[in-house]
Amino acid sequence: MKRIAVFGYSIMSLEVMSRLNEDQYSFVFIGKDENEASSVAEQGFETKIIDFRNDDALKSIGIGADVDILFCFYPRDSDNVFLTLSARAIDKALTIVAIVDDPESAEKLLAAGANKIIDPYEICGRKTHDMLAKPDITNILDHTVFGRHDLHMAQIEIPEGSCLENTRSCDLRLDQKHNLILIGVVDRESGEALHFAVGEKECTLNAGDVLVVLGPSREIRYFKEEVETV
Amino acid sequence: MLTRLIIYFAYFLKSSPYYRNTKLFFYNLLENPDSRIKSYFDIFMICLVLLSVFLLIYEVDTELTRTEILFEHVLVVLFIIEYLLRAWLFNDVHKIILEHYEKAEYLNSPFRLGEVVRLILAKKIEYIFTPLAVIDLLAILPSYRPLSVLRVLLIFRLFKLFRYFKSLNLFTEVLDSKRFELYNLAVFLGFLVFIGSTGIYFFEHPTNGEQVSNLFDAAYWSIITVSSVGFGDIAPHTPGGRLVAMALILTGLGVISFFISIIVSAFSDRMHDLRENRTYTELKRYKSFVIICGFGRVGRHIAKQLEKHQQHFVVIDSKEVNASKARRLGYHVIHADASKNEVLINAGIKNKAAAVLCTTGDDVVNVYITLTSRHLNPSIRIISRANNQDNVKKLYQAGADNVIQPFEIAAMVVAEYIGQPVAFEAILGIIREEKQFIIETLCVDTGSIIDGLKISEIDFNRRKLMLVGVISANPVHRKHKNSYKVKNQHFYFNPEQFFVLRADDLLVVLGRDVAIDYFRDQIEKSRLKNGRER
Repeated sequence: MKRIAVFGYSIMSLEVMSRLNEDQYSFVFIGKDENEASSVAEQGFETKIIDFRNDDALKSIGIGADVDILFCFYPRDSDNVFLTLSARAIDKALTIVAIVDDPESAEKLLAAGANKIIDPYEICGRKTHDMLAKPDITNILDHTVFGRHDLHMAQIEIPEGSCLENTRSCDLRLDQKHNLILIGVVDRESGEALHFAVGEKECTLNAGDVLVVLGPSREIRYFKEEVETV
Repeated sequence: MLTRLIIYFAYFLKSSPYYRNTKLFFYNLLENPDSRIKSYFDIFMICLVLLSVFLLIYEVDTELTRTEILFEHVLVVLFIIEYLLRAWLFNDVHKIILEHYEKAEYLNSPFRLGEVVRLILAKKIEYIFTPLAVIDLLAILPSYRPLSVLRVLLIFRLFKLFRYFKSLNLFTEVLDSKRFELYNLAVFLGFLVFIGSTGIYFFEHPTNGEQVSNLFDAAYWSIITVSSVGFGDIAPHTPGGRLVAMALILTGLGVISFFISIIVSAFSDRMHDLRENRTYTELKRYKSFVIICGFGRVGRHIAKQLEKHQQHFVVIDSKEVNASKARRLGYHVIHADASKNEVLINAGIKNKAAAVLCTTGDDVVNVYITLTSRHLNPSIRIISRANNQDNVKKLYQAGADNVIQPFEIAAMVVAEYIGQPVAFEAILGIIREEKQFIIETLCVDTGSIIDGLKISEIDFNRRKLMLVGVISANPVHRKHKNSYKVKNQHFYFNPEQFFVLRADDLLVVLGRDVAIDYFRDQIEKSRLKNGRER
């Protein structure tokens, strides 16, 4: 179970918290004042009120201890930079995700130590363009992978001693055996990059490699169980 | 008998596509301000006119050679043809005839040919007296030998340039828009010149009769002085005359600055319209384009994407800051309120616009623009932005095809990144078309090689493609499992080997762009080949 600290009250904070599975993640929302805290608490999330500019206060909510992931969702870039900088100083291993308002601030946030920068407007712009340029694909992805239909993209890591060890990726035949489509493989031997499973060189699977598959969640679960059978 | 023949001929013209196309061609060549060939024709005519005027100047003290005379004749013939063509394009004669004939038939009254001819002539005479047509005629007439007295009128050929230069027209338009101010100025100037000339005549004529011998000299001097040109050929000698000169010079300065300020302000007033007019003309030339309403953060990113993919678009924003920002980036901009019907119609929502994107930061405005656009064009694609979850439904009700929520999408991306970073990168990589891996649809054309084939019969592996699924609205496929309903179609994920493809199905494939393009080419070629054999 990973612990996530969410800073900043916005539509995004609530959206992200409701999207992530509560079985796998526990949240703590950090509000500026009583109003923010109570409106988030109404949704059933744990809340705290601290001043993010104070390092001791940050430590008091578990940064440097049990918090694994930090979301900086303040509307002002300067606040996000400050928070990222403080948190990174306390915990080197923390995963920090920050949103950015002005595209120029992205570099500053990265320099301050953020792992991932999200520009909501940029994503939205791209998305609108995709809808215009490839309406069919975008529609399908929206309704299935990103939407309510039961079709998901998932990553499955091959554990030590799995039955899949030493099989070749082309011999998996997931589409016939499991009703899944193998999108790509991360072959740890050749780095962290994802190799798409079409027309690329075949690789032999080892423990630690990651398979990216697309399919209904039930099939994904079955396949995961099979992979993890030692 | 003659009447019947004429009516028959009029009906023939009305129904003849050849006649219609010919007329349309000449309309595009001569009159249509948006057509490409008109601009080429205009340039050609400008060159001819300039050449002919040059010839005219050359002729003043040199005898023309045979070729030059021939050239002059050809030119005049061209001018005459142009004149007649314009007269022909001015209105449709057969329409007048038919209108009258049908009216006569309906009322059971006799059809009077004389009256129709009178009407037709009236229309054509109306053409002859339009200012530009008069100029055209004056440019032709002096070439006719018996009228060679009017040779000086050949200079009217230069006025013909008005027809071909848009900017010259513009200048007259600008002057026309300031008619009231210019009229007042002219009255004042006339008054000033009148006082100046009588004054100078009164003071100078008795003592300086050689220079100011009559009232014309006096008027000439006043105009030279008031315009601050001052040739100096006539100069006042008496103290009274000098006083008049001083007063005239000082007021003249005022008059000139007033005149300049009128012209400048008229041009700056029109600048905005001019720029927008240019945008409209450019837009009319495109085959299709996208209208972006609102150039905020989202609008800017969309514009950047469209620019990258070389698609045409126009930005409409009512805020000056945003409009000028878009202008600086070199985009087509209409600085106006996109919720007004007129603005959207001018932008081409009923003609060549393919989609409207409502991307303002205000949901109320987005709903309003969506509604307006849907009302103006029921079939256009509308994608709208919603900042608040509650308004998504309203936007769909207003007629949006798709609704985008920036923060919802961003939240989804964050959630995906946290949960499954590798899968997330894969999706992002495919969507962003990094590493040339793309996901695309291929249409199963009727009569192509894959029409009627089973999935197992197409070797996707050999083609280095991966079949993700099939999109189809065909009810034949309903029996297959793994179907997901998406709008009025079904998406069949990972179709079985015995899935038979039908015409108009869409294959969703993943692969390198080259592999996809190659396969698409093959499908297309086979369709054309089979089409020919049949």
